[in-house]
Amino acid sequence: MKTVLYSMLLLLLLSFAGQAAAAAPPNPTEQVKPFIERVVAQLKDPSFKKDTVDNRIDRIVKLVSEHFDFQEMSKRVVGKPWQTLPAAQQQQFSGLFAKLLGYVYLDKVDAYVEMKIEFGKEQLKGERAEVKTMFTDAAKSIPVSYVMMLKGDKWMAYDVFVESISLVRNYMEQFKGIPQEQLIPTLEKKLNELKANKEKNKA
Amino acid sequence: MKTFLHVFLLCLILCGSAKAEETNALDDSFYEDAPVEETVPDPFEHFNRLMFQFNDVTYTWVMEPVASSYSRTVPDDIRQVTDNFFYNLQEPVRFVNTLLQLRFADAGTVLARFAINTIGGVGGLGDVAGQEFGFKRVEAGLGETLETWGLTDGFYLVVPVLGATTLRELAGTTVDGLSTTPYYFFADTWQEGTLIYMGKRLNNLSLRLGDYKGLKELTIDPYKAFRDSYFQYRKQARKHSAPSADEKL
Repeated sequence: MKTVLYSMLLLLLLSFAGQAAAAAPPNPTEQVKPFIERVVAQLKDPSFKKDTVDNRIDRIVKLVSEHFDFQEMSKRVVGKPWQTLPAAQQQQFSGLFAKLLGYVYLDKVDAYVEMKIEFGKEQLKGERAEVKTMFTDAAKSIPVSYVMMLKGDKWMAYDVFVESISLVRNYMEQFKGIPQEQLIPTLEKKLNELKANKEKNKA
Repeated sequence: MKTFLHVFLLCLILCGSAKAEETNALDDSFYEDAPVEETVPDPFEHFNRLMFQFNDVTYTWVMEPVASSYSRTVPDDIRQVTDNFFYNLQEPVRFVNTLLQLRFADAGTVLARFAINTIGGVGGLGDVAGQEFGFKRVEAGLGETLETWGLTDGFYLVVPVLGATTLRELAGTTVDGLSTTPYYFFADTWQEGTLIYMGKRLNNLSLRLGDYKGLKELTIDPYKAFRDSYFQYRKQARKHSAPSADEKL
């Protein structure tokens, strides 16, 4: 009888341990590290550099979308008006905002690609995590942090801090006061300006 | 002049008291709290926007081209050494401010840095204290001291060449700057002192070329973007109890 009881207890303990192991979230740094390496490899790719501005933006947005939640970012950037924005416009805004952030990457190609990336300590709080990195070269060090939330088994970034400045919070401030109906035209206008500038510089 | 000083001091006293609150990016409240720039009034926004445009034109057409040719002519090492030298000259001012803020451990670090770099770094040209002894740079200014003592920012200001600041911070920067001037032992007149100050700014700018232009291009409203960046950066830089970004790595 005693042996049966011990066996049952052991089984119970093992099943709890199994559940605990299954519930443990994936490590955010382990997910972010290969992802950033892929982004840098893409930016370094000679065929990427030769591509048109539109194609480069599409390629980078597609790659970055693997671990960037642009919908979540847009929701925070727009703030309260987001709740009353029709779903189709929410999607359109997220798509355009993703492109705007794509330009951030294009803009930093030459500056960041040759820099060394060091990964620092991560901070975990429930289903939120912050992964700290440091972009360094001989002249300077730039701290870049990725603030993420767990969606399924994937860590998705919803904010990036560059030199302690939150990108989302900064855009939040800029979009404040823009009427709801002007949100999308404002982004479209900015993207057209950026595209024209990039093409002019390439020519 | 005396009246101006009285008005200035009165303005500072009327600012009242304030304390920066802690925020954490992993909490949603970080995105819901009123940003600092909302609690710091910007009653002269029209004037500030004009100054912002003036600085933008000055930067694009004067400072950036001059700093670019300077960076092409003077090697990286020399520019870094120059930056170290001017940084070291300001250490006594930082030391006093850390004491006034009761940051005794930081005061010790600043003092050690100053002694090591002045003696071992050939008058502050090298950062031996940081590179060999691990004494990282510690920031402290009168603006922060006044904040510690309970004075609020007053209002937001954009000043020609200096850029984004607030009434309290401008007072702090001015006094800090004037306190450093006697150390410019190589300047006989105020004109030479001004030239040295401009040279210091130019050298510092040459180490960060391209940052401003790249940032500005990606903004929807550059004025608001830089105002927010100023407050976010300052808030983070003053979290002395928390380890700095470098230390976290």
